[in-house]
Amino acid sequence: MNDMRILERDVDTNQIKIAARGVQVWYGDNHAIKDVDVDIQDRTVTAFIGPSGCGKSTFLRCLNRMNDTIDIARVEGDIRIDGEDIYDARVDPVQLRAKVGMVFQKPNPFPKSIYDNVAYGPRIHGMASGKAELDEIVEQALKRAAIWEEVKDRLTAPGTGLSGGQQQRLCIARAVATEPEVLLMDEPCSALDPIATAQVEELIDELRRNYSVVIVTHSMQQAARVSQKTAFFHLGNLVEYGETGHIFTNPEDPRTESYITGRIG
Amino acid sequence: MTDASLPAPSERRQHTSLIAPDARTRKRKAAEARFRMYGIAGIATGIFFLIVLLVSIVSSGAGAFQQTFINVPVYLDPAKLDKNGNRDPEEMSKVSTFGYSPLIQNALLNIVNEQSIETPLEKGGDMKALISASAAAQVRDVVLANPDLVGETVDFRILASSRVDGYLKDRVQREDVARDKNIDAEHLDLVDALLPVGVVEKTFNMAFITGADASESRAESAGIGVAMIGSFFMMLVVLVLSLPIGVAASIYLEEFAPKNRITDVIEVNIANLAAVPSIVFGILGLAVFIQFMHLPQSAPLVGGLVLTLMTLPTIIISTRASLKAVPPSIRDAALGVGASKMQAVFHHVLPLAAPGILTGTIIGLAQALGETAPLLLIGMVGFIASNAPDGLASGLLDPNSAMPAQIYEWAKRADPAFYERAWGGIIILLVFLITMNTIAVILRRRFERRW
Repeated sequence: MNDMRILERDVDTNQIKIAARGVQVWYGDNHAIKDVDVDIQDRTVTAFIGPSGCGKSTFLRCLNRMNDTIDIARVEGDIRIDGEDIYDARVDPVQLRAKVGMVFQKPNPFPKSIYDNVAYGPRIHGMASGKAELDEIVEQALKRAAIWEEVKDRLTAPGTGLSGGQQQRLCIARAVATEPEVLLMDEPCSALDPIATAQVEELIDELRRNYSVVIVTHSMQQAARVSQKTAFFHLGNLVEYGETGHIFTNPEDPRTESYITGRIG
Repeated sequence: MTDASLPAPSERRQHTSLIAPDARTRKRKAAEARFRMYGIAGIATGIFFLIVLLVSIVSSGAGAFQQTFINVPVYLDPAKLDKNGNRDPEEMSKVSTFGYSPLIQNALLNIVNEQSIETPLEKGGDMKALISASAAAQVRDVVLANPDLVGETVDFRILASSRVDGYLKDRVQREDVARDKNIDAEHLDLVDALLPVGVVEKTFNMAFITGADASESRAESAGIGVAMIGSFFMMLVVLVLSLPIGVAASIYLEEFAPKNRITDVIEVNIANLAAVPSIVFGILGLAVFIQFMHLPQSAPLVGGLVLTLMTLPTIIISTRASLKAVPPSIRDAALGVGASKMQAVFHHVLPLAAPGILTGTIIGLAQALGETAPLLLIGMVGFIASNAPDGLASGLLDPNSAMPAQIYEWAKRADPAFYERAWGGIIILLVFLITMNTIAVILRRRFERRW
């Protein structure tokens, strides 16, 4: 862990993008998230860390209502994006998910061509009026995901034929193609080798310029490397939330300290 | 942890050689070898029975694809066929097949005399046993279609009787003939004499593949063609109804329906329906489609509806299985970029499940194609000697049989010639089933290899 880098990291003190208050999640009888309050800032990378089963992924999936697809999941509390309650009855989760993109743990490109993978979101949201415009969107998205140079000559090749790291960057391209404002990443590097991980991390740092990025990770080093804010979850509780440098060098809660030093988890 | 805390190796440990196996290992190996033997024996038994089955089907049924014909020039006597001499088909149609039979018999007798074959059969009526009962109708049809032929001598290729046909296929033996009042040894002698001169010949039997069923006394002219068309229309109904209904039901149950007690009950009942005996569907079809809805009896439409009910559970189960096999990450990916549930299903899940759905559908259709029991109850089994339908409506609504029903019908008739045709029908049915299953395999391979 490079502590010096963390301390030097500049922290944006932008306005709050997502405000969560009193969030509770149940899976059946299992109380998975207990009363979580958190403010996620715009143009910032926020890392969720914590031991397995602590609810960090569950909380992440609340932010774009992916928990709706699980029948037994029940979400209570108040989550606002730009002041709008995303669990309001009038909110269409489809629109929400276009605004809050998501990248999953395992690279999951569609079994279609690279081009179609990226173009799918813009197509269903009617973002392009013609072929030329769609080409432009696809190229921009692939460039932003730092994979354009590698795939520009084989856009018609199947996305599933790429390497793991390329697939994950393709998934990031797919997510950014719909012009989201928030990008949720659920352990995006856990299935990748160190080189691909480094590429994706570099990319996350790039993405921070335009998006509010929330990343769930098991790797504390990764959290330290890429994030400005870190939230530590334990047994469904948000134990500590603050500047990454602060959390890793001077945690306030003894549980945080135990976790980052490897005694629990 | 220190070494001191480890327990010492047991006293029972003895030095064993890796080269010489001990008793336990030998026993284990023997058990494994025995188990393999059982497996091989099981497979060998299966293959043996399969070969016996195929050989017996082919050897019993191959005869149906050959038929004995008699080539005979028939003098169409105007004195018998058109007494008034005005060639009016209306009037000529009053002469029944009884008027034509003697003409054919005499024509054959003439040939016998021309060839100077010695036979005790001297009268035209003696030739009756050689000629199919359908020959007169064949000649009559030609004459009525073309009245100007009357008065001329026309070459006809008429069916030989089933006894003659059976004699040339070794089905009728000379020792059987003594007890057979339909044919005598003299007739067989005559056939033997006519065979080398080409009057009697055995050729490929196209009429069996294209023709309609025939009555008990005319086994030689029975064909499976019309029953094939009946089966085709039934399959059309089954495909058109069960594929969309089955796929829609499975998509709803698998992707949209909430998981609660009602869907659980539905799920269990679909599995149960797949195991319901097909005759139950037949009686259901009789009660609902024929007695309540008054749809025509013996119609392929009704047969298709009944088979649809029977096939639906199979299609739903296989479709749900292939939908389940699509990785959830694909659904997540689609939902994650803002696709609606329906878009996720139709753009991503369904194309991936398509090969499985197609395979399940074709297997279901193949099952339905071979189904006989439900057809018993809606009147598609029996003597239905209809002509080939001339359109979609008549194909669906006119009485017809189906291939397995036709086979069953032939198998229970008395004349061994029908028995042979039943086996021939089985060969055709098997060819259809094997073709369908092959298509299923090819489709699955092709779609699965795409990426």
